[in-house]
Amino acid sequence: MATIVELPRLSDTMEEGVVAAWRIAVGDKVKRGQVIAEIETDKATMEFESFDAGVVLKLVADTGAVLPIGAPIAVFGKEGEDPSEALAAHGGGASGGDKPAAPRDERAPAEVAKAESAEAAPAPAKAAPEKAAPAKAAPAKAAPQSSADERIPASPIARRLARESGLSLSQIQGSGPHGRVVKADVEAAAAGGSGQLAGGSFSSETDVFGRPYISREDQIAAPTLMRRTIAKRMVQSQQQIPHFYLTIEVEMNAAAKLRSELNASVDGTKVSFNDLVIAAAAAALRKHPECNVSWSEEGAVMHGDIDIGMAVAVEGGLVVPVIRNAEQKSLVALSRETRNLGKRAKDKKLDPKEMTGSSFSVSNLGMFGIDEFAAMVNPGEGAILAVGAVADGPAVREGELVIRKLMRATLSCDHRVIDGAMGAKFLATFKALLEQPMRLFAAG
Amino acid sequence: MPELQIRQAIRDAIKEEMERDDRVFILGEEVGHYNGAYKCTEGLLDQFGEKRVVDTPIVETGFSGVGIGAAMCGLRPIVEFMTFNFSAVAFDQILNNAAKIHHMTNGQFSCPIVFRGPNAAAHMLGSTHSQAFDAFYAHIPGLKVISVATAYDAKGLLKSAIRDPNPVIFFESEVMYAQRGEVPDEEYLIPIGEADIKRSGADVTLITWGQSVPTSLEAAKLAAEKDLDVEVIDLRTLRPLDEAAIIESVKKTNRAVVAYHGWPYGGVGAEIVDRIQRVAFDWLDAPVLRECYEDLNMPYAENLENIIIPSAERILSALEKVSYR
Amino acid sequence: MSTASNTPAPDQEALPATLAGASHEETLRMYREMLRIRRFEEVAARAYTRGKISGFLHLYIGQEAIAVGVSEAMKDGDRIVATYRDHGFALARGCEPNACMAELMGKATGIVGGVGGSMHFFDRDKGMWGGYAIVGNHIPVAAGHAFASKYKDEGAVTICFLGDGALGIGPTHEGMTLAGLWQLPIVYVVENNRYSMGTPLERTLPVKDVTVRAAGYNMEADRFTVTDPMQVRERLGEAIERARTENRPTLVEILTYRFRGHSMSDPAKYRAKGELEAFRSRDPLEVTKRALMELHGMSEEKLEALDDEIFEEMSAAETFADESPMPDPEFRFKHHYIEDESEAD
Repeated sequence: MATIVELPRLSDTMEEGVVAAWRIAVGDKVKRGQVIAEIETDKATMEFESFDAGVVLKLVADTGAVLPIGAPIAVFGKEGEDPSEALAAHGGGASGGDKPAAPRDERAPAEVAKAESAEAAPAPAKAAPEKAAPAKAAPAKAAPQSSADERIPASPIARRLARESGLSLSQIQGSGPHGRVVKADVEAAAAGGSGQLAGGSFSSETDVFGRPYISREDQIAAPTLMRRTIAKRMVQSQQQIPHFYLTIEVEMNAAAKLRSELNASVDGTKVSFNDLVIAAAAAALRKHPECNVSWSEEGAVMHGDIDIGMAVAVEGGLVVPVIRNAEQKSLVALSRETRNLGKRAKDKKLDPKEMTGSSFSVSNLGMFGIDEFAAMVNPGEGAILAVGAVADGPAVREGELVIRKLMRATLSCDHRVIDGAMGAKFLATFKALLEQPMRLFAAG
Repeated sequence: MPELQIRQAIRDAIKEEMERDDRVFILGEEVGHYNGAYKCTEGLLDQFGEKRVVDTPIVETGFSGVGIGAAMCGLRPIVEFMTFNFSAVAFDQILNNAAKIHHMTNGQFSCPIVFRGPNAAAHMLGSTHSQAFDAFYAHIPGLKVISVATAYDAKGLLKSAIRDPNPVIFFESEVMYAQRGEVPDEEYLIPIGEADIKRSGADVTLITWGQSVPTSLEAAKLAAEKDLDVEVIDLRTLRPLDEAAIIESVKKTNRAVVAYHGWPYGGVGAEIVDRIQRVAFDWLDAPVLRECYEDLNMPYAENLENIIIPSAERILSALEKVSYR
Repeated sequence: MSTASNTPAPDQEALPATLAGASHEETLRMYREMLRIRRFEEVAARAYTRGKISGFLHLYIGQEAIAVGVSEAMKDGDRIVATYRDHGFALARGCEPNACMAELMGKATGIVGGVGGSMHFFDRDKGMWGGYAIVGNHIPVAAGHAFASKYKDEGAVTICFLGDGALGIGPTHEGMTLAGLWQLPIVYVVENNRYSMGTPLERTLPVKDVTVRAAGYNMEADRFTVTDPMQVRERLGEAIERARTENRPTLVEILTYRFRGHSMSDPAKYRAKGELEAFRSRDPLEVTKRALMELHGMSEEKLEALDDEIFEEMSAAETFADESPMPDPEFRFKHHYIEDESEAD
């Protein structure tokens, strides 16, 4: 295909540039290293030597037009080749040439959304502080002029000792320069009882030392694209999906043992509890396909594939990468995949394709020490399983109180497609699989 | 225990390390045939020959660079500056080569070198020959900086410096070369980065190093006569700094004074005051004070020089001030 | 010793004798190395224009024959100490284009882990000993390497490169003074590319012939205009062997030309009219290419195929660098101090 010549960045501070003059014309044969244009940068006008060779098919940039770095300025290729295909494929760069809008439509949806959110963002960010600011700023300015507000000179250790022994600095005569209360003064006061306990000096605006409480203004964080998506989808979930919740306790002793044996015996394997949870959920869905379902206006969609979404907390929000056909994957393969997805999610390197099309989700806050919680069903799915930490706790076995590793799992269901008994059966299978985890290795 | 002058302790340290390790050599102006401008290398040429005791022309940048280049090849050079004032013309070599080589080469090269010589004001040498370089070198990541005040410390720390795999700046004092102190016959090393309590006390912490150590001990003695019990900490190493020793003492006494040769602006004293206020704020009973050079170029005239250099009386006055006396 | 001339020659002059006397195999080998350097730097320049490389990027384009020629003349253990214009030397010494390109982009896979950038290429085992960015301050250091070689009697030679712009600064004089005084096994090579940054040498050098200084340092001298890598190998080879066998230092001046500005942001407006074109016609790379065609019967197509292959190699290096990870944040704490003695040497 033809080669796009981009507007080069010719200095470290250059952000845009101008083709001041062309030294080539359409049809010329250009060699690598040949001067093809004069480029005006923020620093100088420089000769631009071509990195590419070929026949000039098209000069895209008009001389004098201000273009961003990376914008296509010319197209080289073989004699008679059509430059439009290469130009269309180049897409991304903001073209300053004759068709500025053309490539925009071909961008990935995510990119379009990004650009839109970037344009839309400033408005709310600007409007909000005007509303919020006056209400909160007032108390800080109107700090009361009481006697407690007068600064009492005292050395840091004198302050600390007074605080620790419940003495009020205002009751202690300072012997240091400018009447500074020093360590010896507090010690004398403590011994002689001359410093009064700081009663009466409490108020709603100051602390016991007369220091005003500090009020800080609200800050508005302009929403990122991710934050907007979360907001939109969660409102949709809460408003449109009739939720109900089922919680079950799972004994994880056998699962923990299996996990440590697996990790010790297979090189490079690091199966997590979450991997076991996903594997068990996938296997349970295979047995209860009526839970692998979502609502649509045409009727309940019985999903053919078991594609499990895995909620991953990332900076600024969360994303839900998808493990496809999870029930068909070995634990080791699944574990490798969740680790890879998790890492790339945190690095924000996931392809949008990897975050769409799940039929069921798992959310785990166990690593934060959460015992149990209820998650919200992702629109497009019928249920989500929320799991808490695996922790030692009391259990009754054969009438005896014993300590077991326990984990609580809560299934949130869309009542339009899943009823209580359906969810309960799923959970019972899920629990049985984890309590006898060898069953995860049994086919069917 | 035998009593040695500091210059003899330094010479013995070099001699012992050269005997121990044939990668060690010394170069600088007058180190060989002249036996050292301050006689710190006396007898070394006779013992080790011209290959390992290398006289140089007056080219500080040249021989500092040669030392660095040789250290990168695995030798263990000791570069003597006749005074650290002359290190100013070799500053780029120390700053941009010695301190950075290990980092810049991603660990492929190391620079085990010692730059040593007298530092700070001696007596009536004028402004260009009376400067303390502590802050200049302690500022630089990649260097270690040592400043010694006794024969015992000089020998033990110089031996450690020569064996250290990093570039080390080693400050001595022209006016203290003749001071005597006990040095054991058997071999010993003093670890780099450990301060030494030269006098323990309960009321005020006096942090000092180098040429100000004897002055500070004198001030502590004067304070004791006034019933003020001063703890004198000799830092010995300025980088890495023994912060723990300083903080421990300040938490005990609640008061601190820093006394040193050097200008106040951005000096090592400023760094120490910063650490105290940050780490031990709630233990302080008074602002921390510094006694150092006045913020001026050093004049030649004796009376003016005496005012600028921190004296025992000046240090005593600061000790009293922080003690609310 | 030839008399050097700075006047550009007309196109298609006779091929230099050094090329005429060289075999097809070695001519091709050195041509290939020169072309690798050129294409590496062109790809790097393109990456800079795409914003993938920042900071300084000093290109060696036009001077490649020197790096390739000297590398051919070196033995194992010999080392090059160079300036910030160091990419060519590293590649000529066999450093991987991937690691070099990754260094330019500040990546963890770079030749020094991304801490050095363009100006600090080091590969100890390959004899690429820097990579120094303060003009002239490597000259005493190189003397120190030579001092250590002599001290340890190991027979290694240090070849220290400097630009004509480094001739005025103090460390150059001090380092050469000691190298001459102590008769160290070193070769100092001045790559005279006619400009110290943007100022022509007529306005920076008190004498035209830099090698007149050799007498003052008690060194041997050599001076020539670079024509091709074989010539560089031969001329520097003599100086290197003299250093190795006699501990006799040499000051060499090579008259060369850089086709690019001082760095990427330099438009090089200071050049005289026609100067660049005249020097381009004597580009050692092109001259060597002519030798391959005229003396060894290589076809234009074959040479183009070689060019494409090398261009692919360097473009792949760009991709490698682009896809390489940044250094770990914790990496910033590395290599400021050696904590453990066993890490030294």
